[in-house]
Amino acid sequence: MIVVIGAGLAGLVAAVKLAEGGERVVVLAKGVGATHLSPCTIDVLGYAPDRVARPLDAIADLPADHPYVRVGRDAIVSAAAWWRESMGFVGSPEKNVLLPTAVGALKPSALVPETMAAGAGSDPVCVVGFRALKDFHAALLADNLVRAGIEARSVELDLRPEGRVDANSLAFARGFDDRVFRDAVVRAVSPRDGERVAFPAVLGLDGSAWRDVQERLGRPVFEVPTLPPSVPGMRVAKVLRERLRRAGGRVLLNNVVVGAERAGERVTALRVRVGLREVTYAADWVVLATGGFASGGLELDSRWQPHEVALGLPVTGVPAEQRFVPEYFAEHPMGRAGVVVGRDLRPEGLANVLVVGATLAGAQPWKEKSGDGISLATGHRAAELILGARATTAPAPDAPTESSPAEAR
Amino acid sequence: MASLETDVLVIGGGATGAGVAWDASLRGFDVILVDRADLAEGTSGRFHGLLHSGGRYVVKDPVAAEECVAENVVLRRIVADCIEDTGGLFVVTPDDDPAYGDAFMEGCRKTNLPAEEIGVDAALRMEPRLNPGIKRAFTVPDGSIDVWKTVWSLARGAQQHGARILTYHRVIDLHVEGDAVTGARLRNERTGEELDVNAGFTLNASGAWAAQIVKMAGIEGVGVIPGKGIMIAMNHRLVNTVINRCTLPADGDILVPIRTVSVIGTTDERAADPDDIPPTQEEVDAMLDDGERLVPGFREARALRVWAGVRPLFQDEKAGAAEVDTRDVSRTHAVVDHVARDGIGRLLTMSGGKLTTLRLMAQDLVDAMCRQLGEDRPCTTEEAIPPGNEDGELYSIGSRLRAREKTMQDEQLICECELIGRSKLEETMRRRETTILDDIRRSLRLGMGPCQGGFCIYRATGIEHGLDGIDAATASDSLRDFLQERWKGMWPILYGDQLRQARLDDWIFQGLLDVEHLP
Amino acid sequence: MTVEHDILGDLMRGSLDHCIKCTICETACPVSNATPLFPGPKYVGPQAERFRVSDEASPDASLDYCSGCGVCTQVCPQGVHIAEINTQARAKLRDRTGHKFRDRLLARPDVLGRLATPVAPLANLTLRAKPLRALGEKLVGLDRRAALPAYPGRTLQGWARKRTSPAAARRVAYFHGCGANWSELQVGQKAVELLEWLGCQVDVPRGQLCCGLPAQSNGMFDLARKYTGRMAGVLAPSARAGVDIVGTSPSCTLMLKREAREILGMEGHGDLRAVSDRMYDICEYLLALHDRGELRTDFQPLPITVTYHAPCQQQGHGVGKPALDLLALVPELQVIENDAVCCGVAGTYGLKHEKYEIAMKVGSRLFQQIGDAAPELAVCDTETCRWHIAEATGVPAVHPVEVLHRAAGLGA
Repeated sequence: MIVVIGAGLAGLVAAVKLAEGGERVVVLAKGVGATHLSPCTIDVLGYAPDRVARPLDAIADLPADHPYVRVGRDAIVSAAAWWRESMGFVGSPEKNVLLPTAVGALKPSALVPETMAAGAGSDPVCVVGFRALKDFHAALLADNLVRAGIEARSVELDLRPEGRVDANSLAFARGFDDRVFRDAVVRAVSPRDGERVAFPAVLGLDGSAWRDVQERLGRPVFEVPTLPPSVPGMRVAKVLRERLRRAGGRVLLNNVVVGAERAGERVTALRVRVGLREVTYAADWVVLATGGFASGGLELDSRWQPHEVALGLPVTGVPAEQRFVPEYFAEHPMGRAGVVVGRDLRPEGLANVLVVGATLAGAQPWKEKSGDGISLATGHRAAELILGARATTAPAPDAPTESSPAEAR
Repeated sequence: MASLETDVLVIGGGATGAGVAWDASLRGFDVILVDRADLAEGTSGRFHGLLHSGGRYVVKDPVAAEECVAENVVLRRIVADCIEDTGGLFVVTPDDDPAYGDAFMEGCRKTNLPAEEIGVDAALRMEPRLNPGIKRAFTVPDGSIDVWKTVWSLARGAQQHGARILTYHRVIDLHVEGDAVTGARLRNERTGEELDVNAGFTLNASGAWAAQIVKMAGIEGVGVIPGKGIMIAMNHRLVNTVINRCTLPADGDILVPIRTVSVIGTTDERAADPDDIPPTQEEVDAMLDDGERLVPGFREARALRVWAGVRPLFQDEKAGAAEVDTRDVSRTHAVVDHVARDGIGRLLTMSGGKLTTLRLMAQDLVDAMCRQLGEDRPCTTEEAIPPGNEDGELYSIGSRLRAREKTMQDEQLICECELIGRSKLEETMRRRETTILDDIRRSLRLGMGPCQGGFCIYRATGIEHGLDGIDAATASDSLRDFLQERWKGMWPILYGDQLRQARLDDWIFQGLLDVEHLP
Repeated sequence: MTVEHDILGDLMRGSLDHCIKCTICETACPVSNATPLFPGPKYVGPQAERFRVSDEASPDASLDYCSGCGVCTQVCPQGVHIAEINTQARAKLRDRTGHKFRDRLLARPDVLGRLATPVAPLANLTLRAKPLRALGEKLVGLDRRAALPAYPGRTLQGWARKRTSPAAARRVAYFHGCGANWSELQVGQKAVELLEWLGCQVDVPRGQLCCGLPAQSNGMFDLARKYTGRMAGVLAPSARAGVDIVGTSPSCTLMLKREAREILGMEGHGDLRAVSDRMYDICEYLLALHDRGELRTDFQPLPITVTYHAPCQQQGHGVGKPALDLLALVPELQVIENDAVCCGVAGTYGLKHEKYEIAMKVGSRLFQQIGDAAPELAVCDTETCRWHIAEATGVPAVHPVEVLHRAAGLGA
């Protein structure tokens, strides 16, 4: 049994690849992962610290302990290929495209869903916003694009999905899946020749509404990700969870890993808090994908001591004295804190634990624009490593005690 | 160069200055109030929110205590909407001497402060999170006061009586002709433009900066000691009653429930420069330990923001003590008469004081001015009600929650943490005529909840941009400035849940929006 | 210290500190996604809690639209006990606004059962007669369309008293819940027979009344504590004797496993602790046996198609969907897994006139999926969900053990 801890992008990627590779996988997670918050473009590397045009070429200049350097260039390439094929994204880690953000900055991304692909380039844009969607401001976006040299105008529609005055992205996505609402939107937008049309990323729960809107407007249409909840992120999570389910994997929410039982260099079982009870899960391999400080996989206590909360692995990169500097956009002393691993993603002293995603030391993903790229590359690589190890060792007999997922105290 | 004429120029837009503008304009004076920044951006906006019962002064500073006892009642009458009747407790913690409780009660008796000893069990029932090891407990009529609401209410009241309020106008020089101050030169901090104000009288209500101001008239040595104190706002009300440590004034001896947060404070350290007062890690560590003493488990609770304020402590130079604990300096206030002291007329300075006595301080200052002018205009602020407080009802914590029930189906909620609706936000932005989101924060508490603006600030920026005359460059700068301002109060206190919040916000502002790379 | 402290209760309220406003709970809440009348779990839970004074009633009546399904707590990646905060706030709200007569009835299913059983045919007629239901809706607020149970006129307890369970190495105690005792006796009977077939000796402790969940959900905490305490007292001897307790109602088992301790401040109750530690949902229990190789799996083929919906409170156990794994052991059985979050009824919520349409909207996705699948049976672990689903779709709804019972050749 392979236990993946964490149901974010890194965890789900690892779990899907492992399950589709024939392994028994269970994902233990405190709750839903950060997929629902992230735009879910795969940003491989945007700034290092200057803007990066060709991410793969820029890897060589990253510090030695950066996750990309650990797993190597090839790992990124194969993960990207896997993602592109199986998730229907376009683009490549060889070359970045610049996509407008919800505030009108131009952000480098590498792999993007097709619903967002037309955001690249500098053709004129008509940005469509909705008064009922407070999380997206079309005029601000458009005006900032103009400041960046791209011709842009905006339109704000007063169409309300489900009659809601205060609707979030999810309500709008449901709206776009409804023919009547979608028709009203299409009627209200008159793009000019040569214009692309930008919408907030709400074009349907599975993105099919995007296709319909684009066809009917007769112009390239693209989504712009905005404040959470992220509809594109939810689409990705849904697809990954469905693939996992079909491959026989399970996701257990409200299962909080609080420790591990060890025998020498191997973790033999995980101690898990479920509700008010503690249970143990035997595990042959563990993939730790609990995220960084944002997800609670890493914590800093009030005495400034860092902790990796599931397995208690050592965390490096948190200085005893100043952890941050007063300038918000600067590089902060503890910005790259996390768990250190070798090239095979294992922390020192552990044979069957791999660490992936934002839990890893060495990167400042929000600053570099590398978060999803790291999650994808390391999650995919971890699965490859485990599948490889399982293939070369004689498979253990399918003894029930070894693979029992739940054994109450 | 443009110039303005007025009867009274009030320098300093904190509680004192706003109170003075209100008082003087009610007495029929034409008033201009100036502040180098937003109103209450200085000391007033950085205190913990305690409406003093006076209990903290009964032993060491009975004059200050008596003032608080009286003014507490007056403020509840005139700015009811700004005040919550939380009540207060003085508790003898395991680290304190129970005998001090007797001195405390004696002091209360002498100053007519209605305090009462209650059993420890009763105190713990009242406040279950209190340290169960407390040895004695006393109730007092403390409250908590929303200073921004108060200051803006007074300022708007003054405006209704003709006063002009000029925020972001820094005094860069005082005009002295002969032996009197005739006005000041101001610089508009937003445009760089300079202008003159010709005033019949100048009232210096700039608190911790008072000495810097009068220096511009050549007056030296006014004894204002900036006393730095740090405070930490905790995410929710750990207590609903003000908790005071029953001992001689010490660091971290008060926990105030104010609006949706509880604030622990404070420290007391002489600062050389009232503008250079960053909280240090030692101070933060000590404050968290002080919190544990009052509320066990304090360190596991979530801290939102830390900041430092600087008290204006007046020490009469003639008393002479150079090395003195700033806490020992009297907290009562004094009018500095520059005619007597320095031979310069038409200028008076208010020094010392505390927020609870703001009205009395204003009265004393304006009275002194009237005496010098030979004008017999009596003060009416003990009864006059500034705008927003007309119904006389004290504030209750559930008020925004109740109000939102009525507007839920009709109006967007922009700042979810503090329950601010869109129309209120737009109305305030228009009325304030400001593009500075931090100003709106002070007016409405925008971004003062757990997410510290993480979600609402992008929305507010978009809304601001939608108002007349605000272009994308201005709106984008406003967003970046807000993020920087907010970071100032966050970074020294980032651990636990707030670090998690900050990282999520980093993902939003940098990873998703990429604000840093806006043109 | 002499003041009694609701430690877990403080933990629930204190967990509001973990909320970083991420909105994940809002994406999952079936009610706020169905109606803007409910501002959502983030709002009503950790956000509004900052505006509440602990012993006063909250001014936000909209909190009453929370159905208590608990999905928010399940999906929260930060560990905020959102549903628990809501339930506690609602209790304070109701204390101030008063409890409707209807809610006092719904909080006492054992009383309703005891009243209805001797006059079952009449009771059933009353509950089905349209004019009487219309009257009921006007007078008492019970929606005329809401699916209510039928009373067979006998009790499971009565049935259990008339038989003895064959001795076996493994002993379990069966916690039947009100649904199986007063209405759906077949669920209880089949559960007992299945357990015996699987090699267990089954005790059915006497005197089981209500677990207290309906009282808790309707904000009557004192009543809930009475019920829970009494139930814990009935089951505690089994627990202390080292006998596992299995139940067929995931809502009731969750109540005793966790919710009563977290929400009612009963953490110090010895009997409840003992029972809680040994409480299992029956599918959870059977799957654990299977994983240890201790489950009989010689099921007969059952060449039918069924749908399976995991009720929200079953998901609250945090054990995944063991029913699916068990049903997979039945040869030729086609199981279509529904992926709806909640059927809408949420215990007693969907029965109420002011909530009925919201409940139907919440469940619409599930009903559509079941309709599209056209199964022989709709499988679902919780009784109120079964009644609601059957009424809405016309498909007969059964507990997973009923399918296993049939596949074990124990009856149709």
